[in-house]
Amino acid sequence: MVGDFSLFTSPGMQRIPNGDPHEAVARVHAGPPIFYSPDNTRDGRGTWLITRAKDQRQVLQDPETFSSNRSIFASALGDDWPLIPLELDPPAHGVFRSLLNPLFSPKRVIALEPSIRARAITQVEKISASSNSCEVMKDFAIPFTVGVFLHFLGLSDERLDMFVGWANRLLHGDKAQRSAAARAILEFIDELAALRRKEPADDFMTFIVEAEIDNRSLADKEVRGIGVLLFVAGLDTVAAALGFDLAHLARNPKDQELLRSEPERIVLATEELLRAYSTVQMIRVATKDVDFEGAPIRKGDYVSCATMIANRDPVEFENPNTIDLAREDNRHTAFACGPHRCLGSHLARREIIIALEEWLSRIPHFRIKEGTAPITYGGHVFGIENLVLDWS
Amino acid sequence: MHIIVRNAKCQGHARCWSQAPDIFKLDEDGYILPGNINVAERDEFLALRGARSCPERALEIDRSSDHITNDGVS
Ligand code: SF4
Repeated sequence: MVGDFSLFTSPGMQRIPNGDPHEAVARVHAGPPIFYSPDNTRDGRGTWLITRAKDQRQVLQDPETFSSNRSIFASALGDDWPLIPLELDPPAHGVFRSLLNPLFSPKRVIALEPSIRARAITQVEKISASSNSCEVMKDFAIPFTVGVFLHFLGLSDERLDMFVGWANRLLHGDKAQRSAAARAILEFIDELAALRRKEPADDFMTFIVEAEIDNRSLADKEVRGIGVLLFVAGLDTVAAALGFDLAHLARNPKDQELLRSEPERIVLATEELLRAYSTVQMIRVATKDVDFEGAPIRKGDYVSCATMIANRDPVEFENPNTIDLAREDNRHTAFACGPHRCLGSHLARREIIIALEEWLSRIPHFRIKEGTAPITYGGHVFGIENLVLDWS
Repeated sequence: MHIIVRNAKCQGHARCWSQAPDIFKLDEDGYILPGNINVAERDEFLALRGARSCPERALEIDRSSDHITNDGVS
């Protein structure tokens, strides 16, 4: 039952130049549907690892057996409060989802589109005016996605560098850096909440501090849980996806040409890119002993549902390792499934589509700059760095 | 053709709506409205595509013509 695969330590999961961590994880499909992976979290805890899309769906759709209550962020600080709604289980989860859903609904995202597009255009034009090459993560993907998020929170772009610094240390730092960054984020959110209580504005935090559930306003802990989650969730996932997507187009000139000549294909192609380059691993905690496909899951065990694994399942997707930008019926779970389906999924999708549209219409044919090598890595959130594109 | 809508399974991915907004109607939160969907013949292609796009398997295609609903959108 013990497998030798982990999203943190297996070949292809460490930082390597020109890696393809998504293809590397796909090899688990040659093995059993479930196995125990002894070192599969950032702190080296073991998890059961579910490989098949259908089984992941079963786990993620069953929050009674597979709980989300882990308080990961708080536990890094020695506290105990949940990120909301991510680490809540039903029925409390539903109460907060109902509160937040309208802010992230498809309709709301349509309303946000013009400002997101204007931001993308400004950013890409700045790049194309100044050079024939850039490091896409630092110069475009991160400032664009973090900028959208800051705007959503109601904050100005001036804080962008500070936020990106916190995010980097929180996600990639050592233990001390991680907890320092977590503290800084926490203090920032607490202060912002206090400010909006005194001086309401037309923004997200004002909405949260003024919101009511079950005829009461939110407790400080709840405001904090929502604010911190929004911060953490909005930071690197969309940027990472965008990085992998642009790296793919740089390496596959035919795909790049297709989307250039027929930009109306970008919407569908984005689904395939989301599938092929999913970035997140979900972890659940078993609430009781269960036998799952013959595996003895015990109460308290961690169960991993990695989107990048489900989305390369050959039973679910024909030729899963072939990236076909015209793929139809693409029921990928890049945004998970079940009640915790990514709250920001509609916004994230739109950001990627807009970024690709504006990038492709303003930057001529691009490739990976000669003599450079993007660095990829696995882990809880897959990522890519040092992605230098060149269109000279 | 009918689409059987299992609302309890819908988690608001809105994939069906993005394929065919006139067939799959969402509420303010982006979750599908209750009620099975009666699909006109000319809409079948789009309806199938929408139903097959649901990551939760909340939309079931039903071809038994005797199935009766009165809230179709066709
Ligand atoms: S695709 Fe499925 S989950 Fe999504 S809105 Fe439609 S019915 Fe709901």
